[in-house]
Amino acid sequence: MKICILGFGAVGKGVVKAISLKNDRFKEKYGLNLKVVAVTDTSGAAISNKGLDLDLLLETKEQTGKVSNYPEYGVSGMSNMQVLDNAEYDCLVEVTPTDICNGEPTRTHILNAFEDKKDVVTSNKGPLALNFKELNESAVVNNVQFKFEASVGGAMPIINFAHETLSSCDIDSILGILNGTTNYILSRMAKEGSSYEQILKESQELGIAETNPAQDVEGIDAACKTVILANSLLGRDVSYKDVEVTGISKITPESISLAKNEGYLIKLIGEVSGDVLEVSPRLVREGSPFAVDGTLNVATLKTDLAEDVTVVGKGAGPLETASAILSDIISIYKIKQCNR
Amino acid sequence: MRLNLVLELLDIPGQLTDAFEPISRLGANIVTVIHQRDVKTERGTVPVQITIEGDKDTLDMVIDTLESQNIQIMEVDGVLRKEKIRTIFIGNIVEKDVKDALGRLNNIEGVRVIDFNLKIGDDPEKSASKIILEADSGKRKDIMVKIKEIGKSKGFLVINEV
Ligand SMILES: NC(=O)c1ccc[n+]([C@@H]2O[C@H](COP(=O)([O-])OP(=O)(O)OC[C@H]3O[C@@H](n4cnc5c(N)ncnc54)[C@H](OP(=O)(O)O)[C@@H]3O)[C@@H](O)[C@H]2O)c1
Repeated sequence: MKICILGFGAVGKGVVKAISLKNDRFKEKYGLNLKVVAVTDTSGAAISNKGLDLDLLLETKEQTGKVSNYPEYGVSGMSNMQVLDNAEYDCLVEVTPTDICNGEPTRTHILNAFEDKKDVVTSNKGPLALNFKELNESAVVNNVQFKFEASVGGAMPIINFAHETLSSCDIDSILGILNGTTNYILSRMAKEGSSYEQILKESQELGIAETNPAQDVEGIDAACKTVILANSLLGRDVSYKDVEVTGISKITPESISLAKNEGYLIKLIGEVSGDVLEVSPRLVREGSPFAVDGTLNVATLKTDLAEDVTVVGKGAGPLETASAILSDIISIYKIKQCNR
Repeated sequence: MRLNLVLELLDIPGQLTDAFEPISRLGANIVTVIHQRDVKTERGTVPVQITIEGDKDTLDMVIDTLESQNIQIMEVDGVLRKEKIRTIFIGNIVEKDVKDALGRLNNIEGVRVIDFNLKIGDDPEKSASKIILEADSGKRKDIMVKIKEIGKSKGFLVINEV
């Protein structure tokens, strides 16, 4: 199976690394041989329909910062659209940065791939939170697969888990901690009694929070994920703009200590239930499934037959996120095998 | 018929007699009473388990009368009658008149504010207050929506339970 990867940051590199680590195992286990035929970043592309050397690709990016410096097959300034037109690929892996204004250019990349009858796997929340219906319909019309497990909760299984493992159930509501960075900040505030500003600064130094932390701390990232869950698991037709969002930047050590005295913690929770679609700081009981520390994500799905089912996992990280992307690719491969 | 009640009494003399008075006046029998003064709730009140006997109308009347006399009935035959709802407001608690917010919370039907804690931050905007309400069971969702409305109308950040 030939893969085209748009975006070569933490996740893109994680995917290449994971393929390099596990391709032999995939051949053995599933008879699946993954080849990366194109990779892009802001410098251009590396493209070879025979397949790129994965370690050389990582090394080139590591040392020069540009995939377009890849020996022989690097093309400076080649656009994503040119790559999509020229690469011979089966599955697009779209891992460019999330844009929550209009979901572009990811939306266009994905639609373009669908029209060329290619399957798509993405971790990019932007178009999923803004254009879910359009993308989904296009995938159906073009009879291709569209998977996005990595977009919510990184390595925490939730979308495919609900669709496949809980396929007998209807899901009534979902409550979850869907952002690792804010959970890390709140956990440390609770442990150390320090101020939000202090812990944010330290998290930035540790690389856990970004230099511009707004997407995480203002709840935007969690809101996108809440929308993705609402649309893909509860059959809603909602968009990012429908979410009532409150972030964590106003949480004080005083409020955390008042909560603690009662045996509670403050966590940033995304909720889809009834007519509620919101992300906000909430009180959760110490010792309850939501009392997870560090960058962990957790979600409880309330179902009709199985009652409450809770999943926990690493919400981010290159290899963790790559694990979800590769699982999507493998399940697409299995679907294709069955349909042969 | 018999009914098992759990009452929640203040730890002061005379509370138990006050609770018994309407029971016998209305013609119900007291079958058992378990009163352990050393077992206390987190708020320092004393739970009293009591079994009463009588016909249904009498027992209903007893419950209504006890509640109208502000005697807290926590459980009837193992079913919780009241539940606690906790919330935290963050913001300038003093300037934005948290007392008025508490009053409005108290006015929600079936709701009573039972605990209030305040922590003033170095920056008054960052003060926090914890409020515990006691509410009739089964109304949590609606009440949480009202708490949010009231808190937000005062400009507070409202942190409700999940
Ligand atoms: N990091 C995680 O753990 C995680 C988890 C779940 C989901 N996600 C999502 O996955 C996506 C990728 O995340 P990331 O952490 O890998 O981001 P990142 O480290 O910022 O990397 C983004 C990559 O995309 C490239 N890029 C930017 N604009 C581009 C364009 N127009 N065309 C082609 N390439 C472009 C960048 O190029 P340069 O290298 O030249 O700058 C960079 O290589 C995002 O949508 C994110 O929300 C991330």
